[in-house]
Amino acid sequence: MRILSSLLAPLLLSLCLMGCASTNRSGSAGRDALLVKYRAAANHMRRAEFNAARPLLDDAVVTLGGLTAGDVSAQKARGYFQSESRKNFRGEPYERVMAYFYRGILYWMDGEPDNARACFRSAQLEDSDAEARSYQADYAILDYLDGLVTAKLGAGSADFLARARANARLASMPDYDPTANILLFFEMGRGPTKYASGEYGEQLRFKTGTSRSTAVVLTGSGLALRAEPSDDLSFQATTRGGRQMDHVLANKAVFKGTTDGFGDAAIISGAILAGTAGRRTAADEVGAGLLIAGLVSKLISAAATPSADTRAWDNLPNLIGFTSFRLPEGSHELKADFVDASGGVTFSRTISIKVEPGTRDTVLFLSDRP
Amino acid sequence: MFPSVRLFSRPTTDSQHFSMPVDVPQANFFILAVAALTLATSLTNLSPSMHRCSIYRFKQLTLIAMAAVLAGCASSGVRNPSGNGVTVLKADEQGFVAGTGVESQDIVSVTDKMARSILEVPQIQRAQGQTRVVLLPIENNTRFAINKDVLLSRIRARLNSQTRGKVMFLARERMAALEREQQLKQSGQVTSGSDPNVVEFQGADFFLTGKLDGSTTKSARGVSDYVLYTFQLIDARTSAIVWEDLAEIKKQGLDDAAYR
Repeated sequence: MRILSSLLAPLLLSLCLMGCASTNRSGSAGRDALLVKYRAAANHMRRAEFNAARPLLDDAVVTLGGLTAGDVSAQKARGYFQSESRKNFRGEPYERVMAYFYRGILYWMDGEPDNARACFRSAQLEDSDAEARSYQADYAILDYLDGLVTAKLGAGSADFLARARANARLASMPDYDPTANILLFFEMGRGPTKYASGEYGEQLRFKTGTSRSTAVVLTGSGLALRAEPSDDLSFQATTRGGRQMDHVLANKAVFKGTTDGFGDAAIISGAILAGTAGRRTAADEVGAGLLIAGLVSKLISAAATPSADTRAWDNLPNLIGFTSFRLPEGSHELKADFVDASGGVTFSRTISIKVEPGTRDTVLFLSDRP
Repeated sequence: MFPSVRLFSRPTTDSQHFSMPVDVPQANFFILAVAALTLATSLTNLSPSMHRCSIYRFKQLTLIAMAAVLAGCASSGVRNPSGNGVTVLKADEQGFVAGTGVESQDIVSVTDKMARSILEVPQIQRAQGQTRVVLLPIENNTRFAINKDVLLSRIRARLNSQTRGKVMFLARERMAALEREQQLKQSGQVTSGSDPNVVEFQGADFFLTGKLDGSTTKSARGVSDYVLYTFQLIDARTSAIVWEDLAEIKKQGLDDAAYR
């Protein structure tokens, strides 16, 4: 009877724990709201639906601009029994950079280059906490664009260009042409994806993205221009280094392993003790107690969730680039060919441009993904 | 309270992940488990009366452990399941949603200061009749994308309400619409209360403009943003800067570790 009542306790406990697991499902839509906006914004950008992308990116930038201190979802994500993916999604630095980057492009389209520059600066700041100093704030395109806006607004930009050139790993960064009135942003390929490794999936890793296209060639209106990407998002994702959250997840993994190991030991020793001792003896009681403790420990181990958050902005490009040139006022038709390393066209589209009189730049955005 | 267990995660060969020391400060369950094991192993050598006492204690211990686990679960429920009602805040107070960027309380304090300061400019105080001012766009050199019109709009509104017509702002940003209206009047397509061929658009006595500059520091201890707001009143006739004032705001904060 005593043993029966002892076994009843862990059963009740497990029921309670199961009940607990269902009490905190406050909806993944809320946690993933930003992720949904990220993905939708990227799709709108590619379809040239910039008015639809703008409010989504505004929400994203406002969210990213706020501090997360006191964020309840983040506090819970650090707990032993909540997975990291319980926190509100904001993305890794390479994802946050792209939110600012896209919004900056739209600001420039709207004739607000200084606000565009603000976005490029915030984007660069998002990349500034890489573990290795050499990878901190190392997007060549962001420094280059920061300097170009500054040059267009009439201030010195030599430092920005020097930094951009120092960080350029793909294309060389040309001198600024403040009189250029056509600004072309382009992206190509499929960006990095996330996966979890380690015994309990507690280590966040990245699978590098791919891109068949290696350059974009523009022809028409007397123009023949080849532009190569300047930054690789896979490189940026994989050079960030360890996160502080990785320490938390490693702690969770140790906790899970320890409680699991203790549970095994307690169940085995409890079973041996109960099996070898006579009935209704003290050793029998202790053996039953150890069995209970072992079961509880196994339950706690099972409830611990050290898995890394692998939610990702999965429709990002792999490569991004920029070029600028000058066209006279009036209507123009350009052909943009994305080409691979052998010169074969991977994607092609025609762009109609109307260059208005005045000093406002015409901003184009091209992707090799329809 | 509990001893800190210092361990190391398994070394990895993947350059994308780094092994690191791991702290386990809350090893309470581990301690409880060790206590239970110690108690269990010592029970076999006890007298019958002590057996009963120790078994009682062991059961107590198990119950405490279960209660601790259940207590932990009780705190993991949904917070504010019904949501939060609308909270009305004053524009000059900091809300519970805050960042290190330009916020409403900054805009209010900066524009109030600038409006007060402009009123003390001798050229405006001693002007005979109205002083005509045109707003020039503010230049944003910070890392924060902002609606720059808010700053100048608020200064304009404060000056209009406080000077009661002594300062007049000219709607130059509406010139395209104004010129179109004048053309309609000149062509006779719409009526006109005065001779439409006489230019009545007024010229500016002063230009009011400003600039936002910023400096940012970010480290493992948090992010710090300093924003310098400078505003100028420029004499349209001489290009002299007749007034300039500044306001500066510095903020810092630290993200939750889950996002670092």
